[in-house]
Amino acid sequence: MSKTDPLVIVCAGGGGVGKTTTSAALAVALARNGRSTLIVTIDPARRLAGAMGVDITDEVTRVAVPEAGSRLCALMPDPRRSLHTFAEQLFEHEPVAKARLLSNKLYIGLADAAAGVHELVAMNLVARAAERGSFDVVVIDTAPSRHAVDFVTLPGRLAALLGGRTVTWLSGLAERTSGGASGSSGLIGWGAGHVENLLAKVTGPVLVRDTGDLFRDLAVVRDRFVALTQHAATLLLGPRAAYLLVTAPTAAGRDDVLYLHKRLEKLGPGSRAVVMNRADTHAASYARALRGQPGVSAAMASAMTIIEDERAARSSAADALSAELRARIPGLPTVRLPFIEASAPERVVAALSRELEPYIHTLLPAAAAER
Amino acid sequence: MLLVLGKGGVGKTTIAAGLAALEAQTHGGAIFIEFGDGEAGKRSLSGVGRSVRHVVVRPIDAAQRAATPLFGSATVAKIVLGNFAIKPLIAVAPAIRELAMLEVVRQVAADNPGTRVIVDMPATGHSVAWLRVPTQGRDFLGSGPLFELCDRIRRDLLSPGRASIIVVSLPERLVIEETLELCAAIVRDTGLAVDRIAVNRVPVALPPEALADARALAGSGGPLARSAADLASVLEAREAQRAEAVAALDSLAGKEHTVWHVPLAPSDPTAKDVARWLLAEGAP
Repeated sequence: MSKTDPLVIVCAGGGGVGKTTTSAALAVALARNGRSTLIVTIDPARRLAGAMGVDITDEVTRVAVPEAGSRLCALMPDPRRSLHTFAEQLFEHEPVAKARLLSNKLYIGLADAAAGVHELVAMNLVARAAERGSFDVVVIDTAPSRHAVDFVTLPGRLAALLGGRTVTWLSGLAERTSGGASGSSGLIGWGAGHVENLLAKVTGPVLVRDTGDLFRDLAVVRDRFVALTQHAATLLLGPRAAYLLVTAPTAAGRDDVLYLHKRLEKLGPGSRAVVMNRADTHAASYARALRGQPGVSAAMASAMTIIEDERAARSSAADALSAELRARIPGLPTVRLPFIEASAPERVVAALSRELEPYIHTLLPAAAAER
Repeated sequence: MLLVLGKGGVGKTTIAAGLAALEAQTHGGAIFIEFGDGEAGKRSLSGVGRSVRHVVVRPIDAAQRAATPLFGSATVAKIVLGNFAIKPLIAVAPAIRELAMLEVVRQVAADNPGTRVIVDMPATGHSVAWLRVPTQGRDFLGSGPLFELCDRIRRDLLSPGRASIIVVSLPERLVIEETLELCAAIVRDTGLAVDRIAVNRVPVALPPEALADARALAGSGGPLARSAADLASVLEAREAQRAEAVAALDSLAGKEHTVWHVPLAPSDPTAKDVARWLLAEGAP
């Protein structure tokens, strides 16, 4: 790699906290600030993709946003295509092995249900985009789950699975069990043979055969896999990455943000800041100006009361959460964003991006300051 | 058995816990099954009391629990699953975990005949993949104990007489579209029918004249015009959202699914709140 890797901002958070919208808003704010930015949405929220005029594909697409010039691009890979993309990434030059993998029912069954495979595929696409493009910042919107951040360790776990004796053992399983005798000697050999036979008995010959085939094919591409994922792992876990905890003042939001903070400390990268959505700090100025004035109808007053009560409930929950976060995670900055009263997603993104602009330096990885 | 599905962040756990609370209220007891660490369910169910039994299924325990009858003993299951090659395989192979978790649900239901079991399923995208696993496994394996396990889950858990499916959605056009796609996928991939769609966070109606009044004041040119215009734009946004919600709900009207409306609450509703709302909607 001759040039510097982009800065990476990973937005993590539980479901329903406005993470996808916030990630998009942050990307817009960065692009408007002169940084060439790539927004990567791992969870395919079609609403947002539609609003930004982006297709859900494996291709990097330019996003037209006012004042951002041509600095904003988006990558929103379709999770339903991950299986194929992953096979393509692994077996680029081996069409026969690729076809065999894609027809292996075990691979399809495993990878279809595998939450991490899509993330891994997306990260490999990010790494490729980072190598080709000239992005200053990549903003990654993770899937809406508190476990979503675990994908950062998946390259390592898969590499461990594909490496060494595990894969040798699994790929030879079919031959060893079809013959009936384990053929090994000694206590350890007996133990392994016993496990093999038990496993073959329980799962049946088809699964054993497909497991063998799958791992024989994967063993061949192990080096390529490691090379492929190494860059993704560097981008995610290196010093140029920062993790933002996106939350909202709800009980679930609170639990998720505390969990994710702990989890990210454990996984290594730690967290950079909390972004709290729906966390208005004060009543809307129009409400203060209109309250009790002549000319304000009863219907208007009653509508304002309903809106104000909702805001007050959000604000006090946000105050309580901010205070708790300050006490439990001292030193972690919290950026509070107001609830945006708009229905079109692009308007919410635009409004939030304005709110985020003053905090860009708080949210960028610390490495951004080094030059 | 009630399987509650939906994409992340739609309030699935809250609705599922509400259904469990309602079931306990009307039939004296219910079992609420949650995957993961159980925190979300515990929070929703606070104040409901002991009539709802909260069962938390952790992936690690599930594999061993499901494998025990296969291998004939917990010790043998532990040895096989702890094998140096099998352990990392399970760590990255969710289909195995999912099968194990479904088997645990089946076991809990079988151990408690006559009690309604409400399952808070993991968020979709993956949920249909989840429900497909036993069928895929059965078709793929052809014979053997694991085949029988898949078949048993299909027969006792994922069959129309046994399980009802409730999909939780939000009153937004694209979310409803995704929900309908999910419903179609459920029918196509599992043969199960979707019994109810629970539309969560339906916005409350504001006084209908407020917007016209605010616009009039905004057009008056007086000192309050600017503030009134701001209010009008907020009310317009709310109106647009509500119109979208109504249109989204109308788009469900022609479909065969019964729809429950759950109102938007400014702060976290409890299972008891949800039970009350669902009762008003004619549940269960």
